[in-house]
Amino acid sequence: MPKSFLPLVLPLLGGTALAGCQWLIYVYAPTEASMGLIQKIFYLHLPLAWWALVSFFLVFLGSVVYLFRRSPGADRLCAAAAETGVLLSGLALVTGMLWARKSWGVWWTWDPRLTTTLVMWFIYAGYLILRGLNMPPQRKSLVCAVLGVVAFLDVPLVFVSARIWRSIHPAVFGAQGGGLEPEMRLAAMACVIALGFFWAALIGLRKGQLDLRARMDTLWAGNGPSAAGRNRP
Amino acid sequence: MLRMTLAVFRKDMTLTLLRGNGLAQALLLGLLLVFVFSLSQGIGENLSPRNAAAVFWLSSAFCQVLIFNQLYALEEVNNSRLGLLLVPQPLQAVWLGKALAGFVLLLLAQCVFAPATIVFLGQSLSGHPGPAASILLLTDAGMCALGSLLGALAQSQTARESLLGVVLFPLLTPLLLAGTGVCAQALGGASGEADAWIGVAAAFDAIFLAAGLLLFSFLYTGDE
Repeated sequence: MPKSFLPLVLPLLGGTALAGCQWLIYVYAPTEASMGLIQKIFYLHLPLAWWALVSFFLVFLGSVVYLFRRSPGADRLCAAAAETGVLLSGLALVTGMLWARKSWGVWWTWDPRLTTTLVMWFIYAGYLILRGLNMPPQRKSLVCAVLGVVAFLDVPLVFVSARIWRSIHPAVFGAQGGGLEPEMRLAAMACVIALGFFWAALIGLRKGQLDLRARMDTLWAGNGPSAAGRNRP
Repeated sequence: MLRMTLAVFRKDMTLTLLRGNGLAQALLLGLLLVFVFSLSQGIGENLSPRNAAAVFWLSSAFCQVLIFNQLYALEEVNNSRLGLLLVPQPLQAVWLGKALAGFVLLLLAQCVFAPATIVFLGQSLSGHPGPAASILLLTDAGMCALGSLLGALAQSQTARESLLGVVLFPLLTPLLLAGTGVCAQALGGASGEADAWIGVAAAFDAIFLAAGLLLFSFLYTGDE
């Protein structure tokens, strides 16, 4: 498939798949006995959390590539992935809180996985603040790449701390089939895949915007404000 | 590399302790934090051991930010960072030397924070001090490995204090949780899982010591 079709196909695919998932969530998958309708949030919460983690992994990969090749494209990919990751993890936290209120009776509980998701959100929000600073562009890209690597190294500690503390998260996809009915598992997996297309579209769109801005900055620097002023009628 | 590391360590210790404010600003900030948290106690009330341990580590974390800002600001005067960059030695020696200096300075500060926490927050050392001593050294080592790496991040930045804090604190969370969990036991809190937390702190140290060695040379450059 030509590259130019992807920005059009991915959002269409993601949007259609997400719309199809609504049928799976509300018609195909049974309603959970104890929690009722609010359990449906899970089908959004899980994909958001997973794709947020994938976004942060993409920041890590892009940062490694930038450190070794100094490719501006990799830096812009990191920026797009970090913004998307912060957005998705923020939404995962909000949907998690709504679910926690119904499920555990509180808006927030210091469950290790929730806590560490919040910590990851803080880390990458700090990363975005660093990206917004007024620094020389190459220095900023370098500093962000180092932070992108260091930040992702915290992720294994997230999982370790989740195991040390007693988690109250349900086992979704465990070795024995997890705690979900087969229909619920299918719906959850379909939502993960659908949101994956949407995620790829978001990253592609944002990366495209950043590429365009970089191109305009280059053109502006080449012509210069004075040259642009001279060319005006 | 070891000789260069020790030279940077000696230089930083001498410049920090014998000139200017030394540790005074960092110590004062940490003590103020302990004092402010003591205001939350009602008459005849004491903070729980876990809360007191958290206040101790919070003071240490703020103190660490000031220490590394100060250590990296030393070379900004007269642009002497270029001098360090020109030394024909591995650049990682600068990171290690500053981490060592930060480690000693942080331990010195904690020698003040620990009694202040016990006195102001009404605590007593009624638990086992052994695991607390181990976690203190491991947590400080991790904090200094990461602090020394990210201290270089803020070089030449006017907003370096706030920037370093915003970036560093969330990264340190697993380490601070481990330190709080084990130190709470030394203050008489519920015991259990000290070994696991020591394992987390040791893993953190290993990961970020390796990361510092690999990444420091990318960050510490002659760029303004």
